Order: sequence, then C-alpha cells, then structure tokens
Amino acid sequence: MSGLRKGGIGTTVVLAAGALVWISPLALLVVTSLRPLSDFIGTGPLAWPEHFTWANFSEAWRVGNFATTYRNSAILLALKVPVGVLLSAMLAYALAKLRIRFRRTIMFGVFLGLTIPIYITIVPVFIMLRGMGATDSLLGLVGPYLAFGIPFEVLVLQSFFRQLPDELIEAAKIDGAGAWRIFWTLILPLSLPALVTVAILDAVATWNEFLFALIVLNSDANKTIPVGLLNFQGQFANNNTGLAAGILIAVVPILLAYVVLQRWIVGGLTAGATKG
Amino acid sequence: MATATASLAVRKKKKYGGLTPWVFALPGLAVYIAFLVYPSLSSLFFSLTDWDGLSAGYHVVGLENYRAMAEDPVVTRAALNNLIWTVVTITVPMVLGLTLAVLLNGKARGKPLLRMLFYTPGVLPLVSIASIWGWLYNPDYGAVNAALRAIGLDGLTQPWLGQNSTALAAVMVPAIWLRTGFPMLLYLAALQAIPREQYEAATADGATRSQRFWHITMPNLRPAHYIVLALSLIDSFKVFDLIYATTYGGPGTATQVMGTWMYFNVFQYYHAGYGTAIAVVITLVAVAAGIPYVLSQTKERDS
Repeated sequence: MSGLRKGGIGTTVVLAAGALVWISPLALLVVTSLRPLSDFIGTGPLAWPEHFTWANFSEAWRVGNFATTYRNSAILLALKVPVGVLLSAMLAYALAKLRIRFRRTIMFGVFLGLTIPIYITIVPVFIMLRGMGATDSLLGLVGPYLAFGIPFEVLVLQSFFRQLPDELIEAAKIDGAGAWRIFWTLILPLSLPALVTVAILDAVATWNEFLFALIVLNSDANKTIPVGLLNFQGQFANNNTGLAAGILIAVVPILLAYVVLQRWIVGGLTAGATKG
Repeated sequence: MATATASLAVRKKKKYGGLTPWVFALPGLAVYIAFLVYPSLSSLFFSLTDWDGLSAGYHVVGLENYRAMAEDPVVTRAALNNLIWTVVTITVPMVLGLTLAVLLNGKARGKPLLRMLFYTPGVLPLVSIASIWGWLYNPDYGAVNAALRAIGLDGLTQPWLGQNSTALAAVMVPAIWLRTGFPMLLYLAALQAIPREQYEAATADGATRSQRFWHITMPNLRPAHYIVLALSLIDSFKVFDLIYATTYGGPGTATQVMGTWMYFNVFQYYHAGYGTAIAVVITLVAVAAGIPYVLSQTKERDS
C-alpha cells in the first residue's frame, strides 16, 4: 500500500481510467469518422472497424460547406480579436494606471457585463443592425462580439497592469514620454503574456459563438462554423459516419489550438478568475 | 478667489488624470455601451410593449407581458428547468472537479496530460458538444444504447433525448462533461498554493489523512469555492446553445429554459415584447446573483 502511494501508481491508474472514459466520446468520434457507413451499420457503433476510409471527410467537407464557414469564422477572428484586445487594453490601462475619475463605477459597470446573458440584447441589436443594413453580414457581428468580450478582457488585463511597477512609468514620464507612448512602449510589451492569453481566449470564444451568428446570418455564404454545423447536423442525421467527420472538421482547429496553446488558456482562465 | 479655484483645479488634476484617461477608456466604453448596455436597457422598454418584432408599430402595454408570464405554463416549466439546471450543473462539476484536483495534486504520473484530457471538452463549441451528444444518444445507432446492450442491460436502452422522463437529465450530462474541467483547474491552482509546511506540521502532530483534508485543505479552498460558485452561477443562467442545439426545448416543453423560450417567442411566434420580458426576468436574476462577485473584483487596495 505504502509502496503504491509512493509511486502514485494507484492514483495514476484511477485517473487514467477516468480520463479514458471522459475522452471516450471524442475517441469514438474519431474512429467512427474513419469507417465506411456500411461498416458502422453492419457491426454497430462500438465495434472496431473492419475497414478505414477518408471518404467521410471529403463528403462532409463538401456537403457541410465547410470551405465557406471556415473562411467566415477566420475573417471574424481577424476582425474581432485584435480590435477587441486593443480596446480592452486601452480601457484597462486607464483603469489601472491613469487615475481615471469614477474608476470604481466604471469597473463595476463593465464587469457587470459578465453576468448579462447575450439573449437579452438580441432584439435591440437585431433592430440596430437592420437599421444599419448590417444584417446577414459578418461585419454586423463585430460590434456585439466586441462588447461581450470587453468585460472579461478588461478584468484580466487591468489586474495584470496593476502589478506593473509605477516606478517604471514615473521614470518614463521624467524622460518626457506621454501616456500614449508609455502605453505602446512600456505597458503593452511588458504585458505580452497577458495579452496573448486574452487574445487566445477571445479567439476561442469568437470561434464558438452561436446565438448572434444564428440570428444575424441568413445566407449560406455568410454562415460561421457553429451555425454551419447545426445545419449540417440536420442534413446528416442518418449518416452517422459522415456526421462524425463533420463534427470533427468543425472542432479540429479548436482542439489543435488548445493542445498547442493550453499553457496560456489554462493560465488565463485561472488568472481571470482568481486575481482581483 | 481665483487662486483658490486654480489650486483646487490643480489638486483635482493631481488626484485624477484629467482628460487623458478618457481618451484611452472611451473607445472601449463606447462599444460596450452601444452593443451591450444600450440594448439591454432597450429590452427593458420593449418588454413593456406588445411589439411583434416585424411591424413598424406597437403599443406600450405596461406590465401586461409580466402578468402573462405568471399565467404561462411554459414559463413555469422553463423557470423550474433553469433551477434544476443551475443546481445540478453547478454541484456535480464542483464535486467532480474537486475530486479530480485532489487526485491530480497527489503523486500520479503524467499529470499535465491527464489535466489536459479532462479539460478538453471545455474548449469545444457548444454546438459541437450538442452534435456529439445527439449522436451518442441516437436511439438506434448511438453509442450510449450500444454500450448498455454490450453489458447486457438491454432493458435500460432509451430514446434519451426523445422522451419527457429522460430528456432534461440527458442534456445535463454534456453540460457536466464540458464544465467539470474549469473547477478542476481552479481547485488545482488553489491546492498547489497551500504551503507544504502546514501539512508537515500537522503530520508531525499526528493528524490523520482525513483530518488534514478537513482542517487544512478545505479552509484553504474557501476562496476557490467562492469563485467557482460565483462564476458557475453566472454561467448557468445563460444556458441556451446546448439546449437549442440538442433538443430545441423539447420533447414538448421538457427541456425548455427561459433562454430558449425567449428565442421561440421572438423569432417563431413573433411575440417580441413578451420574449424580451422573459429575457429581462432571467437577466435580473443573473445580475443579482453575480453582483457579489463583481463587487469582489472591483475592490482594490487604493494607493
């Protein structure tokens, strides 16, 4: 017993078994996506495939219109994330280092946005976008996406900025640097890890957003990945292997990004939650 | 007199940074106000009208929509479902997450990989999680029923998402799946911050394993509990995507929540006024529940 505890083998086995069960839906998805439909129907969803094929992916890619939805989601990311991070960093800088009036009121008002469900804004936002002629356009999504990203981004960034030593800023001021130059040449470079984290989390959230995209985007040419996936799910209801391939096509970028960038994702989530 | 106001102005300028901070704050605040604050407030107004969402005209009907909610059996069902959803999808991930964190904080091998695997569902799009579980729950070709048959429990196979008795529980499973990773991460961070000396001292004093857990671990986790609880609470009231994409609120009204019922009223039955009233109610509850957390985040050590 004590020997087991020393090496942690008992715990490792329990955790590994748990992790296998936990991840089994995804594992099953991968295996299913690689087998022919006839094989799946013939031997059942849990049997090891007798044949493997890539055909499900090409069919799902074509029918699911993924070339278009991928492009649209990528355009949204490119428009939204840099602007969102910059606006949030500027606001966070004002709150953390610039002695702004009504600071606590602003912080309270902005952080309260974390609690507001997106769906309370959809009717007025839809009317606004219609007035601006921005319905069924990716551009129309940028405003709401920016607004709903700001509370979390500002929360994380202002707490990071506050830890930067004031002496550095004072020294830069003595050298004649203004607030704008301090922001660009001091605050932003020193905060690179926090900025990267916030940008990654923001990108994940943007890539995954569903409700606004569902309401605003009508034509197939403008749909993003989550909305496209929902349509695809309806079309492929009886094609289990094709459906598995389509779901995988939709989630692979996020999975890859997570595996590669998980240090920042995990760090950002815990920092955003615990630092005040 | 003139010098007095001037020096007051100087002092004010010293205490606050004058106009410069606003140059930095305003772009972000403008977007936030235009696309979040203003629409939320206009929803308060629309909730007092009989607007259908399509035509140009509407009447202000006062609190009529709110009165109608009280008589709408679907609202009653949705509110109850929201409550069940909140309790279950907070409690279960907290307990599971804490258990995993304690185990991962022990001497297991390959901890970074295990941690990553348990958190993976948390980054997936909710729509894809809905698709995955819809696929697993398929009555004929789904893996859930196939697994039950494989272990000889044929009698337990069900149309999980397709019947009243199991639909709500069945949609909560994916929610638990995706939400367990976050408390696990937070608890793990909190556990790793507990100084080793506390345990060493207690062990030297002859404390048992469970005594150490209850007297050292649990008190140290109190802030983590609070944050997990607050953030989960905020998150739970927002539930929409997962239910919309798995069951569409059905069968019947079995999985209807306030968010989906709002959506159907606005975009399918063209009762935009009534729909926004539903959204207002759930938002007020969510904001009220979130205020203690928001306040804790605005507290500062003023210099």
